This record gives sequence, structure tokens and C-alpha cells, in this order.
Amino acid sequence: MRRALLAITGLAAGTTALVVLKGSPGASQVATGERSPVVPAGSDPAALPGVAPTPDPSDPALSARATPGGRQSPTGRAGADAPRPAAPAPTTSAPRSTLRTVSGPQVTYEYGTLSVQITLSGTRIVNATGIGMPQSGQSGRRSDDVQATYSGTSGEVVRKQSADLDTVSDATATSEAYQRSLRAAIDRAR
Amino acid sequence: MTYQDTWAAGRRTGTTPRHGGRPAAPVSPTPAPPRRGPGGRRALALLFWAGLVAAVLPWWLDTPAGSMKDTGDLLTAAGRITGLVAGYLLLVQVLMMSRLGALERWVGGERISRLHRDVGATLLVAVLAHLSLLLVAYAEADEQSVLGEVGVLLRDYEDLLSAFVAAGIMVLVGLTGIRAIRTVMPYELWYHLHLASYAALLLGFGHQFSNGAQLHSPGPVRTGWIAAYLLVLAALLWGRVVAPLHFNLRHRLRVADVVAESPDTISIYLTGRRLNQIDMLGGQYFRWRFLARGCWWQSHPFSLSAAANGRWLRLTVKVVGRHTADLRDLDPGTRVWAEGPSGTFTAAHRTKERALLIAGGSGIAPLRAMLEELPPGAALIYRARTPADVLMHPELDWLAQARHTSVWYVIGSRDDPGPRQVMSPDGLRRLVPDVARRDVYLCGPAGLVEESVRALRAAGIPRRQIHLATFEL
Repeated sequence: MRRALLAITGLAAGTTALVVLKGSPGASQVATGERSPVVPAGSDPAALPGVAPTPDPSDPALSARATPGGRQSPTGRAGADAPRPAAPAPTTSAPRSTLRTVSGPQVTYEYGTLSVQITLSGTRIVNATGIGMPQSGQSGRRSDDVQATYSGTSGEVVRKQSADLDTVSDATATSEAYQRSLRAAIDRAR
Repeated sequence: MTYQDTWAAGRRTGTTPRHGGRPAAPVSPTPAPPRRGPGGRRALALLFWAGLVAAVLPWWLDTPAGSMKDTGDLLTAAGRITGLVAGYLLLVQVLMMSRLGALERWVGGERISRLHRDVGATLLVAVLAHLSLLLVAYAEADEQSVLGEVGVLLRDYEDLLSAFVAAGIMVLVGLTGIRAIRTVMPYELWYHLHLASYAALLLGFGHQFSNGAQLHSPGPVRTGWIAAYLLVLAALLWGRVVAPLHFNLRHRLRVADVVAESPDTISIYLTGRRLNQIDMLGGQYFRWRFLARGCWWQSHPFSLSAAANGRWLRLTVKVVGRHTADLRDLDPGTRVWAEGPSGTFTAAHRTKERALLIAGGSGIAPLRAMLEELPPGAALIYRARTPADVLMHPELDWLAQARHTSVWYVIGSRDDPGPRQVMSPDGLRRLVPDVARRDVYLCGPAGLVEESVRALRAAGIPRRQIHLATFEL
């Protein structure tokens, strides 16, 4: 029994030590310094290249989680680390979690060329969008379908936090090209 | 009353007996088995710690430094760590109960069950911490009450309902493991609850992948985690099904005879095929299942009471309950299903050349088997309440002579002055002057073992030289 008590104490102490080591502000300087581009969460996400305007431009990280219904699809939030912003509005000068953007490679497919750009907060994907997709005619409709299903702060990418997406019906080639670029982007980001 | 065995009266170990007659056999008939050092056990301990680090490492690597800004983040992080630890410990718990031959022979069933209890307590705390930390963290993030958040989790999250059920099972199993509760509840209920912990393993599986931050996305971590599960399942299958099946099909044990050793103790002799090929040592035990009416569904560990001789196996059992009472009526020819051999309570695990054995009542059985394999010069102290409780007296006397063993029978109740004097640090030192340089093997009722360990520690015997065999926890 003494050993069990020791083990439980060790568990508590170990967990605390790990959290403290990771959470120490000293380490955060190093972490943010090595990531680029570093964009403060409070800035206008529209300024980020390739990031589609979000419903709540004041804080995309938050809006990704808090949709009008009050919540995202649960697996999305739990699926990855989600450093939670402390306040809903960027009024405080306290350090906020940083956003970074990562682009996937250009993927050429039947109807054109696309690349996927994802925005991450920590390791969590908070936004995704396809760039350079054909806009006209039948291919444009496919592009729109895929964009509507996958992209955005409440799209399937953000919900699933992975490149394993359901293929959009009647837009298989576009879906696959999107997923390929997305997978590379995620690999690059992590 | 304290008296020394008449055969070996006044005999110091290794000297010629004074009573004349045939001198003790100069050569031991069976050589002592080679030592098995603690290497295997240490390797397993190392593996355990390495696994623990490997379980938490993904979190460490995945989490950017300084990414935790508020209490919610800290709680989430702590919840994730405890979750990973709990997942790992659960696997360890199941693995420890897999009866894998290597585990049973390197660590020993008795030590495993003590570790299982301690790790179990830690696991329970880890699971509860994981659950409550994340619950509070998510509730804060969703601006819900904690109870409201429980509803949200159960309703909206994949696999969390089953995870909650798994946690409930673990809490129940953990509570019934507490000694006070366990002793008042029927064994069957306890047993079936423990069986349910396999369900906890499966029910808790899903949510780790659908909701676990480190395991959700495909990659080496997820693959490794699944591989660990598969490995444990394979070990379980091997240790519980394949290995016993192989053993029993190979040796086909049957009851040969049931012999009364004393009014309340019986010896069961078993025969079978290829008995000379069983790799077993005196002091080890098997889990026996006697395939007779009313007995077949229970499996109990009993030590062998004779070393391997290639012709028969013998186990000696004290009749204490219904099951053991039924064993008296076993018919010759009854099939026996055995799992084993297990245990590190053997001559091969000695650390010194000489040994002191202390037996209490029917605890003599494994020591009697071990006596045949210990190097000459061992000493045996046999505690029994009355002279009638002394089992296998003639055999012990024969062994004392053949293997240069001093035997002391210490008769009387625990509070009699004789036994009290012998079982004190001074008494032990007087009886066996070099006791501190011996391995001490203890087998008997929990009270005697506890008391003896205290006396032995006071007499200056290092803990690693004390070997215990108690099945009561």
C-alpha cells in the first residue's frame, strides 16, 4: 500500500511538473520565435494571405470553436490541442495563442491546379481554404462544392483535424487533389 | 514446547551427525539448480518505465512550449497527461494478469499480485483525475456547469458514453479491491467484477482515438498505441489460452491418488505424460483446475510439495473451504487442468549459498519441495500449533539427513514462550548464527510471515534475501 501511495504522489507530482515545464512563459519565447509567420490572434485574419474572412474576424481561433450554436462538432475540438484564448475580445495585452499559416503544395488535377492553405493555432487547425481552384463552369461548381464542404472555420478539415475527409460526391478529382495538398500541409505544420 | 528434531539433535550444519548410524549422504542426489539472477525482473522494470515515458512523450512533443495561457489550458494538459498515463497503466494491469510465462517466472505471481494492487490504485486515481480535470476544463471552455458538461459530453462526443461506463467499472473494481470491502463480499462477485475489467479495456479503447489529442491523427503514435493494445491482447491470449492448452495437451495430468497427511490436510498425487520434461522447480506453484463435478469452474494456486521427479507431481492442500473439502473426494483418474509453473519462490532465486526456511503449518509444502534442490547446509524452522499439525515428518527427517539440513520443529501457539523466544531476532540468531548471510524463505499464514519478517529485519537480514510466499494480500 505504501508503494501505491508513492505511485499516486509520483503521478500527481509528475503531471504537475510536466505541465509547469511546458507552460512556463520562458519557454514560450523560444517557441514563438522559431515559428513564422507569427501573427497575433487579435489581428485581422483578413490580412493573412489566403485566409478566408471568418464570421468573427476579431478572433478566428475562438470563432472556430464557438459557432452560433455554441459549439463545434465535438470531435473537432477534442481532436487536437486547443490552447484556449482567455478572453473573447482582444482588449487585453496579455500574450495570446499565435496563429500560423501553412500552405500545401500545388496539386494539378483534371480541371486545374489548387493548393490548400491551413491556419493553425498551436497544433490545432482553425481554418482551411483551397487556393487557385477553377471558378468557372462545371469545374467551378465542383470547386465551390468542395470548398463549402471542406474549407472554412467550421468545415470538415477543422472538424476532423486531419486529411482523411469524406470525398465530396460528384467532385472526386477535386476532393482528392484537395486532400493531397492538405495532407502535405498538415505534415509540414506538425 | 520447543524441541529439535531427534534425527538432527544438536547437529550443526555440515557436520557429521552424532547419533551414529549411517552418515548423511555425502553427495546431494540432485544438484542445486543454477541461480536465476534478478536480471529478467530488472529488464521488465526498465521496460515498464520506458513504456511510461513513451506514453507521455507524444503529449510533450505535440504541445508547443508556453501554449498554455489560462487555467483551462493547464487543466486540459493535466487531464491529457493523466489520460495517457491511465491508458498505459491499464495495459500494464492487464498484461500483469496475462499469466505470461516470462512474467510468472521472472517476477513471480505473488509479487505480481502485489504490484497489480498498487498499480491498480494508481490507475484508479489517474482515471478519476483524467475524467475530472477534463470535465472541469471543458465545462469552463463551454461555459457550462460541470454536470451540464457531463450531459454535453455524453450526448455530443463519440465513444464517451462507453468511456464513462469503463470508468465506472474501474471505480467498482477498484473499490472492491479494498481489503475491508473484499473480505465481506463473496469471492464470485469479486471475480466477475474483475472479469468486467476486460470490458473496461474495450470500452475505454474508442474514446482514446476519437477524442484523444495525441492519438486522433494517424501517425506513429496512433499506430504504436494500437500496437501496444494488440500486443497485450496477444500476451493475454498466449498466457491464458495457448500456453495452458499446449501444456495440458502435452502432459495430460490426472489424479492418481488422494492421501490424508493429517486430519485436515491432504496430498494429491498426479500422473501424466512426459512429466520429466516439465521445467519446474520446487517451491513453484500451478493453478489447478480439477475437472470433477462442482470443482471444474474454480482454479486455485497450490504449490508443489515435492520437487520434480519425472514420475508424479504432488500438491499438499489444507482443507479450509468448500472447494478444498471437495478435493478430498476426487476420484483417481480425474482430469486436471494446470496452468504454470509460476513463482520465484525457488532455490534458483537464492542470493547466498545457504538458506533458512521458515514454515508455518501447511506452508511447509513448497519448502519441502525446495529442500530437495537447495544446496546442502540449509536450516528449516517449522512452526506448528500442535505436534499433530506437523506434516510430512518422516520425509523431512529423511531430507534432513540426505541434504545436510538442520530441522527445528517449533511447536505451540504464537503466544507461548517457546515459539516467541525462537521467533525473536535473538532467538533466530542463536538458532542459526549465520542467519544474516543466508537467504530466508518464508511460507505460512500471513500473521506468522509478517512477524517473522519483522524479526528477520531486526536481526539484520537485507530485504532482498527474504523470499515470501503468501497468497493473501
